[in-house]
Amino acid sequence: MTSPPINNPGITTALSEDGLGQQPWWVEQWMELINSYRFKKRLARAWTYAREGNVTSIRFEGRRVHARVQGTGEDPYKVKLWLDVLSDEDWSYVLEALTQKARWSAQLLAGIMPADIERAFAASGRRLFPFKLQEVRSECSCPDKANPCKHISAIYFLMGDRFSEDPFVLFQLRGRTRAKLLLDLAEQRRAVLANLANAAKVDENHDEFSSSAINNEITTQPHPAVVDPSLWWKYEGNLNADLVVITPTMDGETGIRSAGDLPLAEEPKFPEARQKFLSHLHEQGQVLAQQAMLQAMSTGE
Amino acid sequence: MSLLHATWLPAIRTPTSSGRPALLIWADAWRVATPAGPGATPAIHPFTLNPEDLRAWLSEKNLLPNGIIDATACLTLPSRSVKCKSKAKHSVEKSTESGKSRSNWTGLPLQAGEPIPKHCEWWPWQVQGLAVEPSAATAWLSNLPLSGSHPDLGDELRWWSHLQRWALSLVTRERWLPQVELSKGEGYPHRARWVPLLNREDDRRRLEELAAQLPLVATCALPWREPTGKRSNRTTRLRPEAMQAANPVASCRPRSGRLRVANLLEDLVDAQLRQGFEPNTQALDPLLAAWQEALGSETGILTLSDEEAERLATASNHWKEGVTGNVAAARACLELFTPPENEDLWTLRFALQAEADPTLKVPAATAWATGSQILQLGEVQVEHPGEVLLEGLGRALTVFEPIARGLDSPTPKSMQLTPAEAFVLVRTAANQLRDVGVGVALPPSLSGGLASRLGLSIKAELSATSRGFTLGESLDWNWELMIGGVTLTLRELEQLAGKRSPLVHHKGVWIELRPNDLKNAERFCNANPNISLDDALRLTATEGDTLMKLPVHRLEAGPRLQSVLEQYHQQKAPDPLPAPEGFIGQLRPYQERGLGWLAFLNRFDQGACLADDMGLGKTIQLLAFLQHLKIEQELKRPVLLIAPTSVLTNWKREALSFTPELNVYEHYGPKRPSSSTSLKQAIQSMDLILTSYGLMQRDSEILKTIDWQGVVIDEAQAIKNPNAKQSQATRDIAKESKGNRFRIALTGTPVENRVSELWALMDFLNPRVLGEEDFFRQRYRLPIERYGDMASLKDLKARVSPFILRRLKTDKAIISDLPEKVELSEWVGLSKEQQSLYRKTVEDTLDAIARSPRGQRHGKVLGLLTRLKQICNHPALALKESDVEKEFVNRSAKLQRLEEILEEVIEAGDRALLFTQFAEWGHLLQSYLQQKWGFEVPFLHGSTTKRDRQAMVDRFQEDPRGPQIFLLSLKAGGVGLNLTRASHVFHIDRWWNPAVENQATDRAYRIGQSKRVMVHKFITSGSVEEKIDQMIREKSRLAEDIIGSGEEWLGNMGVSELRELVALEDN
Repeated sequence: MTSPPINNPGITTALSEDGLGQQPWWVEQWMELINSYRFKKRLARAWTYAREGNVTSIRFEGRRVHARVQGTGEDPYKVKLWLDVLSDEDWSYVLEALTQKARWSAQLLAGIMPADIERAFAASGRRLFPFKLQEVRSECSCPDKANPCKHISAIYFLMGDRFSEDPFVLFQLRGRTRAKLLLDLAEQRRAVLANLANAAKVDENHDEFSSSAINNEITTQPHPAVVDPSLWWKYEGNLNADLVVITPTMDGETGIRSAGDLPLAEEPKFPEARQKFLSHLHEQGQVLAQQAMLQAMSTGE
Repeated sequence: MSLLHATWLPAIRTPTSSGRPALLIWADAWRVATPAGPGATPAIHPFTLNPEDLRAWLSEKNLLPNGIIDATACLTLPSRSVKCKSKAKHSVEKSTESGKSRSNWTGLPLQAGEPIPKHCEWWPWQVQGLAVEPSAATAWLSNLPLSGSHPDLGDELRWWSHLQRWALSLVTRERWLPQVELSKGEGYPHRARWVPLLNREDDRRRLEELAAQLPLVATCALPWREPTGKRSNRTTRLRPEAMQAANPVASCRPRSGRLRVANLLEDLVDAQLRQGFEPNTQALDPLLAAWQEALGSETGILTLSDEEAERLATASNHWKEGVTGNVAAARACLELFTPPENEDLWTLRFALQAEADPTLKVPAATAWATGSQILQLGEVQVEHPGEVLLEGLGRALTVFEPIARGLDSPTPKSMQLTPAEAFVLVRTAANQLRDVGVGVALPPSLSGGLASRLGLSIKAELSATSRGFTLGESLDWNWELMIGGVTLTLRELEQLAGKRSPLVHHKGVWIELRPNDLKNAERFCNANPNISLDDALRLTATEGDTLMKLPVHRLEAGPRLQSVLEQYHQQKAPDPLPAPEGFIGQLRPYQERGLGWLAFLNRFDQGACLADDMGLGKTIQLLAFLQHLKIEQELKRPVLLIAPTSVLTNWKREALSFTPELNVYEHYGPKRPSSSTSLKQAIQSMDLILTSYGLMQRDSEILKTIDWQGVVIDEAQAIKNPNAKQSQATRDIAKESKGNRFRIALTGTPVENRVSELWALMDFLNPRVLGEEDFFRQRYRLPIERYGDMASLKDLKARVSPFILRRLKTDKAIISDLPEKVELSEWVGLSKEQQSLYRKTVEDTLDAIARSPRGQRHGKVLGLLTRLKQICNHPALALKESDVEKEFVNRSAKLQRLEEILEEVIEAGDRALLFTQFAEWGHLLQSYLQQKWGFEVPFLHGSTTKRDRQAMVDRFQEDPRGPQIFLLSLKAGGVGLNLTRASHVFHIDRWWNPAVENQATDRAYRIGQSKRVMVHKFITSGSVEEKIDQMIREKSRLAEDIIGSGEEWLGNMGVSELRELVALEDN
């Protein structure tokens, strides 16, 4: 959060410039949305607000975003933001479209927001992301008549980053939690399969579908230890060859590095906190790795 | 003996604890116990050590962890149903009157190693032990042995030590992320956790391995809630209903271990990191500061509002999601198939693969068709297979982008890849995919394994004139280059390399050429080396051995070479050699094979270690071998045999009876030759020279001057310590040689498993096999002994196994060759003290007997015989001493030998019965053996009470870790007892009547018993014991019929008869 949008209208992120370009696409899209706003002056003030830490909380609760912004008054103002929820009918179109490509389900299940998700929403004539800022509905308890007021605008700035913590809140705001969405998707996929299977009955491939591997109920096989109670104590394994000599990673592929940046929205007052947090974990990780290696080496001495 | 166990106590919240998990360690020991059943709460485990005893025992064993508190838990254990005797049952009912008794079941929990009854039930038992807090537990587990079994530690502790080592490996490789674990419900805190990342292929495999082998005792506990409540500073017992509610009679069901093991690992990694992590909250916002604080705190409690904690949990979870998913029974798998003839495109099929067994796969279509049902993959059940597959494909996309194209349909089954994409997959993406937890199956010729490397296919045979007895000799051979299972010429290789395509098609197989392949092949062709028999032996010993950097994929040996290789690697039983002419007696079939093997290695001039189990006749096989050499006119120079003093007599006796043609000379005693010349003189025309280890070392200068044809060492463990003088001298004498000198070692111990002792043995047998001692220690000993490194052990065994032949009496092939009872005569001598005492006693008493009136003579004769037998056992017995002093063992040759044999019995984990007719000797022996080995040796004799008798017998028969040695007096223990767990019976002193001895032997031996019983009869050579033995042998029928069971008839002998019987013969 280096500069207000007024001096730098191209700003796309609340992060420092280092972070530019590494932002997930939805954050960029969100920032574009904000930058399309006409009242640059109000935006600049909201930016200051956000940067100075006046936003004390943002909560995603069901389909709404609840936030508190410390204004000039004693009590913080309460801000609510929401999007138009998709109707069940709309959702059914979206789901049908989503099942057409296995990739969409695959990515959603792996925790990745597909970059072309809007194409699935287009089937219903709706969008996941608001197209115009006007589509973001809001309310603020401040006396200012204008909407968005600077409190609401301050929330706008911080929202993008918050999407990174859990991109699936977007679905939530549109009326489906991630869990529900995945469940619905699974069901939809089964429906598609049933159709395919019906079609396949006249098809030559239908053998493939009546595989004997499918089980209608859990067959309860007794645990091996029930058949042979001596397994209760038995262990005849040998130490895995890879565990004989314990060494640090050669490729530097530590967990922290594989996981990348922590998707936690930055607290404006502590601009370097996340970086500090990660680098401290990294340093300590090396120390602890060293200790563990020595401990492993001294085994059996 | 007590056995230590460890069980994980899952985190619970109690007034005193904030709900951290703990390692519960507890020990059980066998004792007589009353069967019990659960009342309102689980019954108390009757075999556990109480916490004070446990602490004392652990600190004595140097195993006491830090950070412990007394703890109780309910463990679900397999149990044996035992009906309660009426009295006991009554008391159980009475005690459960207050609570509601749910069951009338009574029984006992099984202990590790106990025979499993036909019908097992599972019941919870209240177990007392010590709870070790997690960070102390990680330190404690890190110090447990990683290999081998330990008498005090349950097997499952080794599982724990392996799990902890994995945790250390994950921490060392920094494969972890911090997470937030939300409260499990009202009153529970939110916690910061360190979690291991198990996305990588090797870690996933390890999880499956440890889960498949999980000893369930490690995770069978429910925490026990403190049965007390506090009311106005007074501790009161909870009401029975409250107790019952807090500690219901509930069992843990045995379930699949994957998730459990992952959780245990997580607890260990968390504890490991938590204790060392130093938070630094400078410049952190409150959220991150609180998280970091909690990551370094002992309890991990997060001091954040629910809302903030939830936000942190979501974000950290999303963070982790980018690396790894949940632990599941199956994973997505990509199978690559080569293009059909004349086509370009490769096929990539989507499939689902069981984590536990990667060979279990079903095509994607099956996963799609399964829908919301459960997919059965072999024995593995997969829930939501479609979702598992999709999630994997989603992850696959992040490292191998071309897959996206294949996922455009709703239920994709396969896709096609361009040659370039296929190459990327083979070369780099396959490993990356495996690292994100997606299985990849490549065509065998491209799988990256050894077979896919450029190597050699070799055909070889002994040269026409060779008999295959010289290791250095060159073989007739030819070779071809080989890759991916097909052969190719250098020219073809050049052509393929010229295509500049990394994946090439040759003879119907796709292969991957690597940059150095052509260069290595050219180098090899130019060198065109010879190979020797030695090379062939090496190349066939271990897989993947190389010849000039090229792996040998195939070695086709001609029939004659093949036969040599097979014998050498013991892939088939050695060709038997029948007992040579002049050998008195019969060789059992396995002994003929042993003889054949000794002769085979001798032809190669290779040292041999015959390590057959005790009682299988190593002595006989060696004597037969020497006789074989003699008959073949190959025994031209003397052979030196070195043995412990205690068995020299035995050797002499056996040689006399089995191979009387061998001229045996004993280099022993004060009158032995003291110069090289006199020794040479003395052993002229001698075949076998016996000496002890001690004298060999003392006289090594003289012995070295003899041109031995061979050196044999008996009880070869005597040279196990490479730096001991005795060991060095032995190895020296084996090496000094003008002509060839064969080396043979005999031992009854499992020598190939004692890594530390192998070096000295191999240095004696074949010095070059294991190299210098320093190299050996670094390369084999440390990795194997400290960490149980199987790869090193396998390699080591491959190197030494051609030279070690070990058969066990339990081997199927051996059992059929053996009679049910194997009788072994253990010949022993007398110590100096024994000799002089014996002589003096005979002289003094014979005169007295001759002078005494006829009526008293009878008693005096019996007295004399008894005293002589006592002297043969131990002077202390004859002199009525009651203490075991320092020199105790050295005063009796019989005791020395007994101790040596018992050591082998103990090491083999066998059990033995020791019979003596002298109760005083039993007591002395008991205290000596207990001192010597530090464990209890029960002694059953005439004044043992009936109750103690039963307890001793029960314990010997039933306690899985019961005493291995059981002393019995012949009269009290000879009849009526059932002691079938023993596989060795020792008759320390002889009874005149074989029937009495046989009756005692039958305590261990029962008809229909599948194991063989070894009966050791000690005979002091030259003494009255030998005469008795002779008598029994010659007239054993007569003895049974006439003598009955008493010794009375002996009293009626005439003096001259008597003199002959008792006189000590010099030999």
